Amino acid sequence: MRRFLLRQVLLLLALAFVPAIGEALYFRNRISWQSPVPDSQLVTVAKAKGWGTGALWVDARPDEQFAQEHFPGALLLNEDHFNQQLPNVLAAWSPDKKVVVYCSTKECGASRAIAERLRGEAQLKEVFVLEGGWEALQQAAKK
Amino acid sequence: MSFTKYLLPVLIGVCLTSFAYGQLKFEQTELELHPSVADANAVAHFKYENTGSKPIHIASVQTSCGCTVATLKSNDVAPGDKGEITATLNIGNRTGTQTKTVTVNTDDPAHAQTVLVLRAVIPTLLEVQPIFVFWKQDEEMKPKVITVKAGKDSPVTKIAVTSSDPDIAAKVGPGDGAKEWKISVVPKEKAKLHNATLTITPDNPSNPPKIFYATARVINPGGDR
Repeated sequence: MRRFLLRQVLLLLALAFVPAIGEALYFRNRISWQSPVPDSQLVTVAKAKGWGTGALWVDARPDEQFAQEHFPGALLLNEDHFNQQLPNVLAAWSPDKKVVVYCSTKECGASRAIAERLRGEAQLKEVFVLEGGWEALQQAAKK
Repeated sequence: MSFTKYLLPVLIGVCLTSFAYGQLKFEQTELELHPSVADANAVAHFKYENTGSKPIHIASVQTSCGCTVATLKSNDVAPGDKGEITATLNIGNRTGTQTKTVTVNTDDPAHAQTVLVLRAVIPTLLEVQPIFVFWKQDEEMKPKVITVKAGKDSPVTKIAVTSSDPDIAAKVGPGDGAKEWKISVVPKEKAKLHNATLTITPDNPSNPPKIFYATARVINPGGDR
């Protein structure tokens, strides 16, 4: 009886795997559910704050959210107005500064996209994505 | 046979359970959009139908970023009713392939959540590389080159460049390819700190015309501190 049940369980698992494999193949290059940011390009709130004036803070959230509230000294740079806002960020940059980009939450992708463009298009070297984004900054401020 | 004796009733049971509820069935859960260079938005229409026997309430529709807005006409879907969720991506200055999601939460216990995927392949009007050049004040002021390429289907045939700082000169010349240009940038004075915004204006027909920018700076070798 136990052997029979085991066979049934294995059969059900095998049946479940068929659509799962199909879906994995179909979505292979479509969407990534994992963070594409390597650990070396992520920075925690505590570490970034520790950089003091050596950090250039960039807010990648939409204009309205930035206007409501933002990290002191942060500059606005989002993909809605990237071309227009970038000169302002580059004017504040210097080779000794580390760029810290944040968006709303851990899940938002805007900070990753902005960081990638700063590395690729502007060829800046030390660009980091803030872990947890604005949400983490607010939580840290409450402590 | 064991399949018909045990497994088949289980599968039939599972199927019957799902029929007893409403079921929001989407025609497609993933859409690929190809906006033109003149488009400000990419709009996806996710069509659905309640194929079940009970009404469904769409509790919430959440987008993965502030750049995408999702709307629907009614949150309640009666059995047999059809509708659509419209997802609008603001293209802004986005480039390449943009993948955004819309998460639909319903009171249907069998399909409580559906993730809709919008992929927008944004055409390249101009590619400017790099968009930032700089010289340290103590280095030799040799010209630096910014390459500008028109995208594959881009209507751009020529570009014009102006510098916001008269002490940083920018001159456009032909590039390696047919729709390619090289902008030679050089500071005129060595001793002074400069910060110039280079405005790159293509002859594209879009309204308003899309303007591109690059930055050229002469910086303090010791940094700002």
